[in-house]
Amino acid sequence: MSSEVTMASDFPAKISGRTQYVDDLHLPGELYGGIVRSPHPYAKITRVDIREAQQVAGVKAVITGDNVPHHAYGPTVYKDWNILACEKVLFVGDEVVAIAADSRDALRQALDKVVVEYEALEPILNPHAALQPGAAVLHEAVPDNRPVKIEFERGDVDKAFAQAYIVRSGRYTTNRIYHGHLEPIAVIANWDEQDGLTLWAGSHIPYRARETYAAAFGLPEEKVRINVPPIGGSFGAKYVLKVHVIAAALSMRAGAPVRIALDRYEDMLTAHPRVPLEIDIRIAADKDGHFLGKDVVVYGDAGARIYWSPNVLASACTRADSLYQFHNVRAKGNLCYTNNSPTTCMRGFGNAEMLFAVENVIDEIAEGLGMDPAQLRLQNIVHKGDTTIGGYHLDSCELEACIRQVITLSGWARRRDFKKYHGLGMAIGNHVSGYRGIDPRFDGSTAVARLLASGRVEIETGEIDLGQGMSGTYAHIAARVLGIDPSFITVQSGDTGRYPFGIGTLASRSTVMGGNAVKQACERLRNELANWVKQHYGPTAVLTGGGVEVGQEQHALAEVARDFISCHGGDAFSVKETYTPATELPDRTLYGNPSPSYPFAAHVAEVEVDPDTFRVKVIGYWAVHDAGMVLNRPAATGQVVGGVAQGIGWVTMEDFKVSQGQVQNRSLLDYRMPGSSDVPPVTVEFLETEDPNGPFGAKSVGEMAIDPVPGAISNAIAHALGVRGHDLPLAPERLWRIMQEQPQV
Amino acid sequence: MQEQHIILNLNGEEKMWVGDPTTPLADVIREHFQLTGTKVGCRTGECGACTIILDGAPMNSCILPVAMAENSVIQTIEGLADDRRFQWLVTAMAEEGGAQCGFCTPGIMMTLWASSQASHGGQHPDYHAILKNNLCRCTGYQSILAAAKRVLGREVNAIEQ
Repeated sequence: MSSEVTMASDFPAKISGRTQYVDDLHLPGELYGGIVRSPHPYAKITRVDIREAQQVAGVKAVITGDNVPHHAYGPTVYKDWNILACEKVLFVGDEVVAIAADSRDALRQALDKVVVEYEALEPILNPHAALQPGAAVLHEAVPDNRPVKIEFERGDVDKAFAQAYIVRSGRYTTNRIYHGHLEPIAVIANWDEQDGLTLWAGSHIPYRARETYAAAFGLPEEKVRINVPPIGGSFGAKYVLKVHVIAAALSMRAGAPVRIALDRYEDMLTAHPRVPLEIDIRIAADKDGHFLGKDVVVYGDAGARIYWSPNVLASACTRADSLYQFHNVRAKGNLCYTNNSPTTCMRGFGNAEMLFAVENVIDEIAEGLGMDPAQLRLQNIVHKGDTTIGGYHLDSCELEACIRQVITLSGWARRRDFKKYHGLGMAIGNHVSGYRGIDPRFDGSTAVARLLASGRVEIETGEIDLGQGMSGTYAHIAARVLGIDPSFITVQSGDTGRYPFGIGTLASRSTVMGGNAVKQACERLRNELANWVKQHYGPTAVLTGGGVEVGQEQHALAEVARDFISCHGGDAFSVKETYTPATELPDRTLYGNPSPSYPFAAHVAEVEVDPDTFRVKVIGYWAVHDAGMVLNRPAATGQVVGGVAQGIGWVTMEDFKVSQGQVQNRSLLDYRMPGSSDVPPVTVEFLETEDPNGPFGAKSVGEMAIDPVPGAISNAIAHALGVRGHDLPLAPERLWRIMQEQPQV
Repeated sequence: MQEQHIILNLNGEEKMWVGDPTTPLADVIREHFQLTGTKVGCRTGECGACTIILDGAPMNSCILPVAMAENSVIQTIEGLADDRRFQWLVTAMAEEGGAQCGFCTPGIMMTLWASSQASHGGQHPDYHAILKNNLCRCTGYQSILAAAKRVLGREVNAIEQ
């Protein structure tokens, strides 16, 4: 059965400006909070003087590293966070002093009056410098500055390369990308002796945030409550954030609610961008173009503290091994502390980065063999039923059909006749629908389904809608199980004090994990309600979508709901169900089946490169996806087009320019993101088959959307220019330099 | 700071505001008049989330000193809520999936509304030019352009059908 159009119920409010984000909310008596940050990438703090700041009229709290708790905490197993810096600052933007005041003016004055003196130290600015003998140790628990080292080999890679007919290799680098959320990061924190700590904060993994913030203050988790207002864009930026913790610390000191709202400058200065990776890669094939082996060495820059960079490195080292049949694979991954702003996850999560390298090398092998790059891909991809070399069980996989369809849609055969400066490039990709390694304790989801007195059905989930359309998808699933219209479903989430536990929205997990929980809960609601109506109205009573039929007699669902409530002491009919996926925790070598299902896609990009300026214009784009059955078509299509647009920005224009640890382009004018004229018409097609593990056969789409984009566009540029760029972004200056380095004919 | 009394024509009503005349209009709208449909994304006039309509033209309210708006007609998205023709645009955006996170959306709606009030001489206007001052990070613009085409190009659409 094909899906119906599902409209998000929050659309009218968003489109009419009625949706209220964190900075639109106010608490009585709230204070403005702000932070004094380090101007140095690495320095010893020699003096902090807050006396003058404390004298400013309207200042209610000034805190430093000396008067906040010092528990070891952090959002992952690496507990390297503090609340404020004590002896040293580790990056430009590191937090030293925080102030709460009753007006913006008072806050600004007080921030200016804080005196911090530093003794600058030699900063570590890249992973290789971090590993130099004698390099400063940034965190005592990690004496070699390398918190994560990945090493595995499956098969015999050296033997495979010795037997190869062709080997192509290169060093590819991916850059720091700003998430570009239009809503700057903001938080309101309120401390109350009785209720504990309450935060209003955009976090799409609020239960991990709760756990982390409780640890920061040595509080039991039940003393921390996180409300999540609608999130104005994240793409990985709004997970667990120090600025939330600092607002909480200020509120504790001031005894009043504290709001910290970053402006764009501060948001960009302190942003935790995409983890920059340096990838040395080689791929071997026989003379017929069958892959024999893949060998990668990856260096990642974690910055000064650990956010989600370990998982990003792990994805980079492993995911592509379950896209192609490489037969022999080896990876060495090194994640290093540096004195850059901590880096973290962004849509694509290491996989898009590695696919940029893989897809370019594959095109080079095709050139070397005189083969069509599409054909080379077709004869090496994974298929349904495979258990991949990385341990993924592919219960569904339409990758081959995706490639064949994108060949047709894009007019792939045209590329033979293109003139110089005009290119057509292909790339493919895979992803997960949730990832077991995110939280070894649990990777499922829980949902509550409740029949309200009005006859509407309320779904509670711990997962978070951040505009991707999750609520609409859950409404669709619930409506389909219950046989009622989606407009009768309300999806509630975003309050750790009210709604069931959820891992949150990351690893493209909300459709499959949360969706399965919603489906199970609604099935149980339907089945138990069907039994109850027989007890209550008589054995001939039958539950239908609209209510109950007893012979000729009709009872509307609202009436049934009220009858149930009357019989149960005022309690509405409510059930809670937990979906626990049959996934495997990846082992020490990252082998295992970490997700219930794997989406796939094949993309083709068409570019024109200006021969004078080397500006790349993407003039056509085709994306064919295997996302299983599509449950929310407008949202799924929107995810793909949006992901492609972000990829266009990444490859052709976006770059955080960092010098001595300091972001140089801290405005949306200097850090250009795609505008409407930068995005060509994007043709999106879904090849729908049912995945056995998804709700109504669905798989994920959110991150899959961007994974192939860097590969597709860079391959198109290489096709247009006849030379290949290895370092993102392939902005005009870089392409011009590459062309200058070419031997002149 | 010298306080000034400023009379604003806001959504068809005369309003008095007292304060620093250089205060950004966006802050006055959002904080004093509590019209939070106008969003602030950058404070430097680069993203367009704060777009309001000033004398019929879309304008970044985050870099407009409130004193500059005196003697002008200011429309915010709240002022259009009851306009039947505005609902036409709301419906088009909703049906085309023109919003995801929704933060840039009110600004885009104001830009499109201002443009829909102008005559395009029976031609499709240059939709990219209309949207050049609005950034959206979620949608890739395709759905927004589709909604714009439905509403702004309605005369041409009718002929083309």
